[in-house]
Amino acid sequence: MASFLLRTRTLSKSPLCIKWCSPSISTTAVRNTEPQIKNDIALLNPEEIEHKKKLQNYITVEGTTDISPITGIPEDYIKERRVRIYEPPKNCMQSGTNNIGNWEMEFDTKERWENPLMGWCSTGDPLSNMKVQFSSKEEAVEYCEKNGWQYFIQESKLDKKFKPKSYGVNFSWNKRTSFN
Amino acid sequence: MIVDMLRVTLNKVLNGAKLCPKHIYIATRAQSGEVKKPEKVEVFIDDKPVHVEPGTTILQAAAMVGIEIPRFCYHERLAVAGNCRMCLVEVEKSPKPVAACAMPVMKGWRIKTDSELTRRAREGIMEFLLVNHPLDCPICDQGGECDLQDQSMAFGSDRSRFTDIDFSGKRAVEDKDIGPLIKTIMTRCIHCTRCIRFASEVAGVDDLGTTGRGNDMQVGTYIEKMFLSELSGNVIDLCPVGALTSKPYSFTARPWEIRKVDSIDVLDAIGSNIIVSTRTGEVMRIMPRVNEEINEEWLSDKSRFSYDGLKRQRLVTPMLRDCNGELKPVDWEAALLTVAKVVKNAGPAIGAIAGGLADAEVLVAVKDLLNKLGSEALCTEHTFPLDGSGTDLRSSYLLNNKIAGAEEADVVLLVGTNPRFEAPLLNSRLRKAWIHNELEVASIGPKIDLRYEYQHLGNDPALLQQILCGQHEFSKKLISAKKPLIIVGSETLERSDGAGVLGTVQALAATCTGANKDWKVLNILHKVASQVAALDIGYIPGVDKIRDNSNLKVLLLIGADECSIEKSDLPADCFIIYQGHHGDYGASIADAILPGAAYTEKQATYVNTEGRAQETLVAVTPPGRAREDWKIIRALSEIVEAKLPYDNLNEIHVRIKELQDFYMTDAISRASPTMAKCVQAVLKQKQSKY
Repeated sequence: MASFLLRTRTLSKSPLCIKWCSPSISTTAVRNTEPQIKNDIALLNPEEIEHKKKLQNYITVEGTTDISPITGIPEDYIKERRVRIYEPPKNCMQSGTNNIGNWEMEFDTKERWENPLMGWCSTGDPLSNMKVQFSSKEEAVEYCEKNGWQYFIQESKLDKKFKPKSYGVNFSWNKRTSFN
Repeated sequence: MIVDMLRVTLNKVLNGAKLCPKHIYIATRAQSGEVKKPEKVEVFIDDKPVHVEPGTTILQAAAMVGIEIPRFCYHERLAVAGNCRMCLVEVEKSPKPVAACAMPVMKGWRIKTDSELTRRAREGIMEFLLVNHPLDCPICDQGGECDLQDQSMAFGSDRSRFTDIDFSGKRAVEDKDIGPLIKTIMTRCIHCTRCIRFASEVAGVDDLGTTGRGNDMQVGTYIEKMFLSELSGNVIDLCPVGALTSKPYSFTARPWEIRKVDSIDVLDAIGSNIIVSTRTGEVMRIMPRVNEEINEEWLSDKSRFSYDGLKRQRLVTPMLRDCNGELKPVDWEAALLTVAKVVKNAGPAIGAIAGGLADAEVLVAVKDLLNKLGSEALCTEHTFPLDGSGTDLRSSYLLNNKIAGAEEADVVLLVGTNPRFEAPLLNSRLRKAWIHNELEVASIGPKIDLRYEYQHLGNDPALLQQILCGQHEFSKKLISAKKPLIIVGSETLERSDGAGVLGTVQALAATCTGANKDWKVLNILHKVASQVAALDIGYIPGVDKIRDNSNLKVLLLIGADECSIEKSDLPADCFIIYQGHHGDYGASIADAILPGAAYTEKQATYVNTEGRAQETLVAVTPPGRAREDWKIIRALSEIVEAKLPYDNLNEIHVRIKELQDFYMTDAISRASPTMAKCVQAVLKQKQSKY
């Protein structure tokens, strides 16, 4: 990391050096090297140049990209697994809400067993720990489509209708909210 | 009334009292004669402006801009107590920090949630709490999911000033025995009173309370008494420390070593959302998952604690009855070949009965298989009147107004149902409406304790006719109500006069004209998870069709364990196949057993009583040789040469879509030792004089 920073610093310095030395460079009439003629272009006719220029740009392909053939994930993992896209709810045991408010994806559960060596939990499923967070449902869907996974979206209603809380209702004499 | 209130308000103004937002609201309404939305108030939280309704507390206003104020006693579903003081925040120009959970915001207030004063206040509160809290986190079941642990890390001091100068030890409190489900370690209690508020507000059991003051304060029942509520397990979740923990789960697992799988509960027809916690292929505990439209964040005790029944009395291998009449374990090949041979020979003389825990996938697979074989004898264990439109219209057998809709009702008539046991979470909604919405409840049926006051009209179905004719005093209330609900228990409709009751109730619902178009008056409350899906798919409610069929050769029971049919009802040569997960009644009369998966072991669809389809997920793999139910039927269909056209879950889901655009009442709960302990404890409590 440090060396990288160092390199960027020298790089950022170099234009300054050139600026300061620029008068001396501009006054020299001598070229050290001959100008390079790109003979592959020079020998081409105009149509061929046009074609070559076109090839330099990106090609836009309609539809979703599917990178599953090149990810290296075994085919049966892609075809047989189902991904669930869901919105994690607040943990009922705790009051914190920092780890929610996003969408997540998760694979279906495969068999787990107790390892006879240590009594720990074993699994043969490398995807069982792959829990990826997304800021929106659409992003998660796009990611799954890109990887060629079958997915389903589980919607759940998490937001509650807002109602102002009141300390006073504990003591209202004509309401059922008073328990004392 | 309004005039009175106005006078009170005016008097208060004249006396120089501050106007509370509620009074302003009433005053404006009295003047203009129409309901006006009160103007929003602007406040600044950490210099972020936020516009809120008048009466909103500081804590709620902060939550709107994503600032979370630490709290112990405040819970958004319970009344405000304001006694833990953890939510103290600084308000500009206020001499003292104020409790954010109880203080309504005023216009232009500048609230500082991270100032020096706020931080010092929190640190002080934390220190006071920890002085009287034992340092037993390493052996505490709450460890790892404890609010006190987390908040002491985030807001507490980095050192302790607690020195036991008299060597007398920390404050200690005797543990209470409040039943077989909840373990109490009362020394850990920080007196947030969440459990007390839950008991009296949500559960409707005023048993918990505090005794003593100051350092001698104790939370408990005062006399030794069971916390007898069907929602009692929720206090375990509510407790921010480890004072109330789950007795069956105690010392079995840690939160960081368990895997959590979201699922759906199937032990009642509500379809509560749950989280199944597992470790090494074993269900360790079940917790509620928030779903505002179904279970909020509560869960009934039966759903929460009967998971240990999933490990007992399981059918782990296929079995066939041998020549001595004993069931002998065999492998899948032998079982499927034998069953297929019998099924093939029977031809169309085959019937099926679906039990209460069958999922939609297996119901569809069985229906398709039997239809291919030329049989239409597909029944459910629980019956439903078929007179009139019967089950053709979906709205005639659903809880049409939805579970959350019950909160808005103003008059509810319960017909032959005890929602407290049949659907505890619907009952908690009704209780919520009873408290906050001045709901009036009346019931026709046996006199029961619903945990809220209701008018018991009687136990005679003829009363319905009287109400319909307007001869009963209750009919006026029902007709004039703006949002009336009639909730009919499915058990009532199973009686011989069920059709009559349903007809009268339908007519009664039609007379409730006070309601607007979107409000649905008639609601049917089912008892079992599979019934709505079975009726949707086209099963015939009730087993009469099977019973009347004198030349039935094969009967397929899909988890049918309710003794709805006996061997004596069937022809002597009828071959009974039982497919299910527990060795209960159905398995005992079977000639062949095909072991299936329980709801925690399969991805399956269940449709709840309001007609909402939800999916369970695989948390653990089925034990032994047990397999997912629809796959068994799919395999069988191949051998009987009536191959079903689906190979995976997605394909069967497509097929389903084509077809349709309390403690011990099921096999799992019956096998659960925790549930057995509950029954014992309740019997003991009934003998006690308290």
